Amino acid sequence: MFTNRRSFLQSTFAGTGLVAYGLSSPTFLTKAAAATPRLDESGSKETILVVVQLTGGNDGLNTVIPFSDPLYAASRPTLKQKPAEIKKLTKDIALHPAMSGLASLWEEQAVSIVQGVGYPNPNQSHFTSMDIWQSARLDGPYSDGWLGRTLGNFKKGAGTGYHLGSKGEASPLALNGPVKCATLSNLTDFELQTRGQSNQDRRNQLKSIEDAAKPGSGSSSPLLDYVQRTATGTFSTVKRLRDLAKDYRPSVPYPANALAERLKLAAQLIQAEVGARIYYVEQDGYDTHSDQAGSHARLLGDLSSALTAFYQDLKANGQHKRVLILTFSEFGRRVKENGSLGTDHGAAAPVILLGGKLKPGLVGAHPKLDKLDDGNLRHHTDFRSIYATILDQWLQVSSKEVLKSGFGTVPIL
Amino acid sequence: MFLTYSAAIDPVWAWAPYVPDAKVPWNLEKAGHLFRRAAWGGTWSELQAAVKAGPQASIDQLLAGREGLKSFQERVDQLATPLAEGIDELRLRAWWFYVMLNSPHPLLERMTLFWHNHFATSNAKVQDVGRMYKQNRLLRTHALGRFGPMLHEISEDPAMLVWLDTTSNKKGKPNENYARELMELFSLGVGNYTEQDIRQAARAFTGWEIKSDRFHINASDHDDGEKEVFNKRNNFNGHQIVDLCLEKPACAVFLARKLFRYFVSETIAPDDTLLAPVAKRLRDSGYDIGATVGMILRSNLFFSHEVYRTKVKAPVEFAISCIHMLEGRVDSIQLADILDPLGQRLFAPPSVKGWDGGPDWLNSTTMLLRHNLCLALTSTEDRRFYNRCDPVKMIQKNLRSVSTSEVLQFLVDLFLQGQVPDATRSQLSNRLKQLEQQKYPPYWSKEFVQEYQIRSLCHLVMTLPEFQLA
Repeated sequence: MFTNRRSFLQSTFAGTGLVAYGLSSPTFLTKAAAATPRLDESGSKETILVVVQLTGGNDGLNTVIPFSDPLYAASRPTLKQKPAEIKKLTKDIALHPAMSGLASLWEEQAVSIVQGVGYPNPNQSHFTSMDIWQSARLDGPYSDGWLGRTLGNFKKGAGTGYHLGSKGEASPLALNGPVKCATLSNLTDFELQTRGQSNQDRRNQLKSIEDAAKPGSGSSSPLLDYVQRTATGTFSTVKRLRDLAKDYRPSVPYPANALAERLKLAAQLIQAEVGARIYYVEQDGYDTHSDQAGSHARLLGDLSSALTAFYQDLKANGQHKRVLILTFSEFGRRVKENGSLGTDHGAAAPVILLGGKLKPGLVGAHPKLDKLDDGNLRHHTDFRSIYATILDQWLQVSSKEVLKSGFGTVPIL
Repeated sequence: MFLTYSAAIDPVWAWAPYVPDAKVPWNLEKAGHLFRRAAWGGTWSELQAAVKAGPQASIDQLLAGREGLKSFQERVDQLATPLAEGIDELRLRAWWFYVMLNSPHPLLERMTLFWHNHFATSNAKVQDVGRMYKQNRLLRTHALGRFGPMLHEISEDPAMLVWLDTTSNKKGKPNENYARELMELFSLGVGNYTEQDIRQAARAFTGWEIKSDRFHINASDHDDGEKEVFNKRNNFNGHQIVDLCLEKPACAVFLARKLFRYFVSETIAPDDTLLAPVAKRLRDSGYDIGATVGMILRSNLFFSHEVYRTKVKAPVEFAISCIHMLEGRVDSIQLADILDPLGQRLFAPPSVKGWDGGPDWLNSTTMLLRHNLCLALTSTEDRRFYNRCDPVKMIQKNLRSVSTSEVLQFLVDLFLQGQVPDATRSQLSNRLKQLEQQKYPPYWSKEFVQEYQIRSLCHLVMTLPEFQLA
């Protein structure tokens, strides 16, 4: 691993072409290079945050279930989970039956669940609420993301982050900031193709394409500059990943679902020490307005099995203590099920965290089912206090800088 | 990240018709801009004709389409008969690409694409290619027509009824999905309605369902009771809710903003003052979309330096315009297959909000794929396109001389109307020199070497960052 990492670092610098750029080197490249952990420094194994976004509004009430409350069964005549099948965590709270993997990690003391998370005046638009969670701002314009700002605030210079998604998927608002984060789908088909009549011709062709895309050549608009930076970042990533892809085998089998594929890629990049501090993945499909039971169980089953394989893979490689996984959704769903065997948009919901070095257990009580706002659960914990705790206590970045306001901490770390 | 605000732009000047003069002359650059925004870029002969005809005649022609639209529509609708019976989604995408590449009315297709993004519906949930095709036809029918009838018809459209759960919205058990997106994404935008409005409006759409593959209102599932929406009380039905949305002044402003972003700029955030004349035109004309698009295209602002190349080409627009400017023909099934991972899989938008677009189109993966697509299109060796799309043929058609330096100048003029910085120009010349000086296999003929050089230069010009912008 040591030699791999050295060759990676070499290719990183070769890839960014810092020497060639000289003084005009674009800042995002120099910053990214500076943030790459150094071999000769203790503590180079920096903490890592993996964010799993559950898109569409996850039904928190059927994820972390207050099964002993009779109002639960009463509000969910068709969607309630059977007491014999749920995965009990305490005498009142259980996980959905599909989440057996996560329940076993709970036994391993690797899970923390913050209940009743939300924000004041909850917005029930998917898009606005997602912008609020991703930017950590209650009002627009939602121009940058909390993780993007975090990457710009690391002490040793900007860090890097990766969005792991399918080809062509846009990088989320959460990662917008001074540093440009790449979207990766897999390591192998990431090649800039050429068709040269000789190897020298191929090399010349690639070099012309790269040279012509360099930022700052000529009068430039912000948008053109953005295209140039994206292109230049792309070419250096291509070189870096070519070296990484050579040999990697996961230590545990991953289930066959898209989320697991992405988390496997995250494990691979973490294991290869690419220097990224933040990874972002999404699992879509939680907007269960109708016929919720089957699809929701499938989603939670995929989530639980993917997270479990990821955690066990990290653990087998001794990486689990430097990785914290945060799951969230833009909102929970209405307490009372609707007439289409589904649920409509709601408000407060639980946030599940996973890691080898966190404070396990439940944080905060389940929101009361008899004290609702417009039929929705009330939050008691602002999501930004979870962010603040992660920033200050895990990533060692000042939460006041990133969130522009002080929030209390939550006992998760 | 890139937004600048529009306070400094004078609305009266902005929307007054552009009249060429010595300071802002009508030329190749402006014709290229018009064709990038209102068509699929221009071929060399289209651009030359537009320079000759002037802005007004060129815009008139783009708004009306060329001769033969009616017979073309009949022909492609016939081609779509198996689609209406529900053949696979890839073939539906290929069909639309065929229409985009061959229609005598490119602006109509661009507007159909605009509405597909506005009323973003995905077959991932609809699971019925025939219904997706019918929705596409509905959007095309009204694409440059009137917004009111389109909003009414889309509310009854079977694909939409499934997509936003209207079919399971029943009296006493309302499902709010359609009512919410009607207001949030289709007509008014956030901030112009309350949660209460949505809950009440949802009741008005109860009982709307599909019967024998057609829209039908099931009276026994419909809640005919009194609802309060936008502070008005009545026994509203769904169509009355749609009308209430259309009556709100916010509706015209909302649409004006979307048209602005589509045609004018993705980097200027227009304030309501700048949009007011466009919104007024929409209202005064009874939401006449064609007239409003015409007003935008003819305006000073549209042809101003401020908005030049302030949009990122969307993947479909990028690919179709590459092929159109290369005057190539492609197998549109292959094209559909290649285009999927570029981030704009037609009939499968990521959510009801559609594609965010703009700078979001570009990331490391899509950038690579765009470059690789251009390589596939400009080289005759790619098994997916062969030589049906060949820059050499296109150049022979348009350029008498075939000296490679003139070819390079021609390519820069065709794809970028000469607008590249000096540094880039010298990099291009360097590459040309390299190509001229390097050794080729002795069995290559002189013509073959030259054709190779042309294809290589063409690919390089199409990978320039400027070419990603519209």
